[in-house]
Amino acid sequence: MNDGPLIVQSDKTLLLEVEHERADDCRKAIAPFAELERAPEHVHTYRVTPLALWNARAAGHDAEQVIDALISYSRYPVPHALLVDVAETMARYGRLKLDKHPTHGLVLTSTDRAVLEEVLRSKKIQPMLGERLPDDTVVVHPSERGNIKQALLKLGWPAEDLAGYVDGEAHPIILTEEGWELRSYQREAADAFWHGGSGVVVLPCGAGKTIVGAAAMARAQATTLILVTNTVSVHQWKQELLKRTSLTEAEIGEYTGAKKEIRPVTIATYQVMTAKRQGEYRHLELFDARDWGLIVYDEVHLLPAPIFRMTADLQARRRVGLTATLVREDGREGDVFSLIGPKRYDAPWKEMENQGWIAPADCVEVRVTLTDEERLAYAMSDNEERYRFCATTPSKLRVTEALVRRHAGEQVLVIGQYIDQLDELAEHLDAPVIKGETRVRERERLFQAFRDKEIQVLVVSKVANFSIDLPEAAVAIQVSGTFGSRQEEAQRLGRVLRPKASGGGARFYSVVSRDTVDQDFAAHRQRFLAEQGYAYQIIDADDVLR
Amino acid sequence: MSEAFTEWLRSRTDEQLRALAMSRPELITPVPAHVTGLAARAGTPSALGRALDRLDRFALAVAENLALAPGPLRALRDRLRRSGPAPAGAVDRALDGALERLRTMALVHGPDSDLRLAPGVSAALDPPAGLGPPIADVFRHHAPEAVEVLLEDLGAPADGGVPRERLARVFADPERVRRLLGEISPQARAALDELAWGPSSGRVPNARREVRPADAQSPIEELLARGLLGATGEESVALPREVGLVLRDGRLHRDLSPVPPPLDGITRDRDLADRTGAGQAFGFVRSAEELCELWSVDAPGVLRTGGLAVRDLKRTAQALDVPEWAAAFLVEIVHAAGLIASGGSIDGEWLPTAAYDTWLVRSTEERWAALASAWLTLDRAPGLAGGRDERDRLLNALHPDLRRSAAIEVRAKTLAVLAGAEPGLAPSTESVLDRLAWEQPRRRGGHRSEFTEFTLREAELIGVTGLGAMSGHGRALLDGGRAEAAEALAPLLPEPVDKVLLQADLTAVAPGPLTSDLGRWLALAADVESKGGATVYRFSEGSVRRVLDAGQSAEELLAMLERHSATPVPQPLSYLVGDVARRHGRLRVGTASAYIRCDDPAVLEEVLADRRSNALRLRRLAPTVVASKTSRATLIDSLRAMGYAPVAESLDGDVMISRPDARRTESPPARAVNGFHGPEPEAVAAAIRAIRAGDAAHRSHLERLPEPGGALPRSPATATITALQEAIRQGTRVWIGYLDSQGQATSRILEPARMEGGYLTAYDETRAAIHRFALHRITGVADVN
Repeated sequence: MNDGPLIVQSDKTLLLEVEHERADDCRKAIAPFAELERAPEHVHTYRVTPLALWNARAAGHDAEQVIDALISYSRYPVPHALLVDVAETMARYGRLKLDKHPTHGLVLTSTDRAVLEEVLRSKKIQPMLGERLPDDTVVVHPSERGNIKQALLKLGWPAEDLAGYVDGEAHPIILTEEGWELRSYQREAADAFWHGGSGVVVLPCGAGKTIVGAAAMARAQATTLILVTNTVSVHQWKQELLKRTSLTEAEIGEYTGAKKEIRPVTIATYQVMTAKRQGEYRHLELFDARDWGLIVYDEVHLLPAPIFRMTADLQARRRVGLTATLVREDGREGDVFSLIGPKRYDAPWKEMENQGWIAPADCVEVRVTLTDEERLAYAMSDNEERYRFCATTPSKLRVTEALVRRHAGEQVLVIGQYIDQLDELAEHLDAPVIKGETRVRERERLFQAFRDKEIQVLVVSKVANFSIDLPEAAVAIQVSGTFGSRQEEAQRLGRVLRPKASGGGARFYSVVSRDTVDQDFAAHRQRFLAEQGYAYQIIDADDVLR
Repeated sequence: MSEAFTEWLRSRTDEQLRALAMSRPELITPVPAHVTGLAARAGTPSALGRALDRLDRFALAVAENLALAPGPLRALRDRLRRSGPAPAGAVDRALDGALERLRTMALVHGPDSDLRLAPGVSAALDPPAGLGPPIADVFRHHAPEAVEVLLEDLGAPADGGVPRERLARVFADPERVRRLLGEISPQARAALDELAWGPSSGRVPNARREVRPADAQSPIEELLARGLLGATGEESVALPREVGLVLRDGRLHRDLSPVPPPLDGITRDRDLADRTGAGQAFGFVRSAEELCELWSVDAPGVLRTGGLAVRDLKRTAQALDVPEWAAAFLVEIVHAAGLIASGGSIDGEWLPTAAYDTWLVRSTEERWAALASAWLTLDRAPGLAGGRDERDRLLNALHPDLRRSAAIEVRAKTLAVLAGAEPGLAPSTESVLDRLAWEQPRRRGGHRSEFTEFTLREAELIGVTGLGAMSGHGRALLDGGRAEAAEALAPLLPEPVDKVLLQADLTAVAPGPLTSDLGRWLALAADVESKGGATVYRFSEGSVRRVLDAGQSAEELLAMLERHSATPVPQPLSYLVGDVARRHGRLRVGTASAYIRCDDPAVLEEVLADRRSNALRLRRLAPTVVASKTSRATLIDSLRAMGYAPVAESLDGDVMISRPDARRTESPPARAVNGFHGPEPEAVAAAIRAIRAGDAAHRSHLERLPEPGGALPRSPATATITALQEAIRQGTRVWIGYLDSQGQATSRILEPARMEGGYLTAYDETRAAIHRFALHRITGVADVN
């Protein structure tokens, strides 16, 4: 009997026993072709999906390596069907290639005529193709480079894109490593992206994804378009770039609802890019405004559908996606793969934490019991109103106050979904509130005051979900959320994960109403983090109030 | 019937005749009366067809050569040496073996100096090696005048004989044919070469045209004008056998291999192959168990015509997370092993049998051996399920239509090929098919190659092979049997574990197969998320409630978890258990004397106070225990009716966890199919003895023994049968009492040969002939002396 750390399940999940002495080697061996699905304390679960196998192929691994890794680390015999499936799936990648033809431009070529014939018969593919050339080569309309990749992936024959990239307009960008230095994993991530051409880097919140972006820009040495989630995030990117690179204020443009600057490095929000007037996207010209050499997508897992469509037309430009998780609530992981690129780098959260790059965090779910009157009202409320009702129950107010009291002297964020609830909380806690209508200038003043510890408690709506850099926030209290969104929970936890000056840990509270839909949503929200190894402790509100 | 053949057969020793019967068992079913009968039986087309079907490529080629030219061994050997690229030594060795076999099977007789085929074999082989018909047959339907013209053109002397026969004489001379071939154009020669190695017929328009050599316009006309091709129809021509032989340079085959083609494929590490096979075996047993458990609570119906509906098969495949063909295979094997059968309600349902329960308690390796041996003897083709038959009818799993007698034989042959391969070799499907085609060249078509492919994938699924190579336990199963297979498999199976890893995300991972008690308990307490070498369970509110419903308390549940967890129970899990228990009832009911036990006296008070409980005649024994005079079942029902959730408790105070909805069929399991194996040696020996005796009587009109006098032997029926079986085995004579068809009591001395279907076949010395005796009319058996 082989005493390996890995157990291969018939449903293509891999169980890795983390306490095993060969667990580390095994993790390194399987990470290229298996997605980490869950990482609780003892046994991590990886899943071998077609996308993961194709990611591995794109990274230069072959089926033999995959099978060898499975067999040599597996404790029990590996099911034969699984091995066959791995080999077959991996063989599908690269049968079709997108390439540059000296006279015909973009072409689709194949080493396997049968496969080519199969895809040529597809009604979806046909309109994207032009003339059929000898040697199993077909001309592809250059504008369809992205669409054809998407369509081929859906057919199960992902094409390898070898058509290369335009260099774009050159622009010198140098990392100024003064008083800080690029962390090893950040360098590896940037290198992995650069060698792959385009792709996605997966790093936990707080692990310095912005710096990976800056490092990627320094490799590209070209004009760069950065797409981020919101205006505050635009400012933060700008601050980081000024601090970390040779770029000056004059070289960085902001492209938001308020400002429309186009400079060698331009930072735009998804929102402004997807804004429509009379059914037309108004700011599409930004993509053509300069000869961009690199496009950075921050928080790829949130990329809205229109951006995907626009990205399909940008396949000749280098693209890097940054995210904490490839999990998408809408299941469009395949589009990320075919349009942004394969996964080029990832590191598990807990490992980063163990190395001290992100602060350790305790997650606590506080269960609030509704009073009898509240229960009755809850039972009688409309279905649409139910979540709102139980999420904003007054009982939560008292618990939140108690929690804030408990953490007096620490920097506390209170995060919620509903404005009424936040206003009420702000009033009770005597703390300022940041919500959608708060002006950007005011937001930044409050964030700065919070960073400077002039204010200790800040109540924020979901505008602060993403990319707000608040290093000293040590405690986050979530009172309500966007239903069962797993990535929102991860983002909110990310607010408190920056390593603290004190070296201390962070604490994340989620206040939940017992026996209501709030509890069900909370369970769903927690799954991603629980799977990343964050164990939620559950306590009763009474224990807090006592 | 050839007298020479009969005489030759008679001259064979008993041992040789037994070998004949072993290799052609159909010859002694029923036992022929004498050697002449045996010879006649051996010459029937059907018996010959079956015998020839058993020949390999080379032995068949030997027979084909003899069909064309019987004669001395030397000439035969010479032709065979020229029939392929193999070295002469290898051909000679193979020839010796093939002749031995052909003689054993009574297909060839005569001394080496004059080898002959047994009567009928030539006809059965016709046309040999793809040759065309003899020229006399090709021109059978041509007008004699036309043949005369042809003869004239060929320059044959007009001797006044029948034209066709004269033509045959002309072509019988290879020199003559060769000269004719020298006359034709290269194009015409190329056309002939196309036909030389078969197929020996072709299609041309207007085949019957009359052409003289001088007027020939095309290559085909050149050939027709010289009789090198002959029309056999309006649009078809054939290459006469004599011409074909010359074109083949006097040999029948060109690439004959005296040894079977080698198997090629990937060589696996033997250990790895064994372990992979064991892993598959383990998974298969597990799937079988899952299937039965699934069908115990959710039994699919039996189709009106028998079998399992496609929809039910799909559903099962989905539930077991296997492809449909694998589900069909599993269902068939489980059925063949007698673990499921039709039964249940009036329309019929597929339900586990009582045998399933006994199977369940055996060790994994024994359970596997039972399933795998059921596969070896399965005379059905599960691989066809889901497809359509020749008449485009859907084929259902478990349906009688899936019976294919060839399936069992092809499976045995295929597995024998795998077992005969180098250890560790995973032969490619093509090379296995090639090998089988060499071993039984006449057995082609139908579903045979498909059956081979089925066998290969099924062998992998069930774990007889691992990574395509025959596994150690697979070999043990084929060579030995169930016990040997189980013994070989046991050390390869993972040790059952009694510890699980509990995690904060409410999952539990069992890093191997669980001990059966723990496995059953966990299956109740948590939902299975993923299966394989390990099992991942997830606890949820619903699953915890199931445990509580089954009667365990939250404390007991946590204690169970603590006992079987390698690490402390995570806080979220204990919180979950507590949270669910908070809202769960707490009543318990006992069996022995029908009692109610409850940790909470108040609840009992409540029960006692309820007017509805009066009928139960309850009496409180202790603050937490109440006894009742009614049966446990009534008690539970009544309490449930009152709105409580009581559970049953066993004698020693444990809660009985059983799924009350699990059902079993009353029907007996499917009759095990008689496997694919040769005839019993004892039966063969007895049959040969009977034939010999019958033959002796037949030829010399042997004097009949007088009927023994005195009282008829009498013995109980079972003793009679045992004694007769013993006599067949020992080959001894017995004295029986027999009531003949008129009801007359007679007394006979017999040499029993075979017993089947309620009849005894024996040589009757008092009648000097072989007779069949109805067993129920035999009054008794006694020793002759």
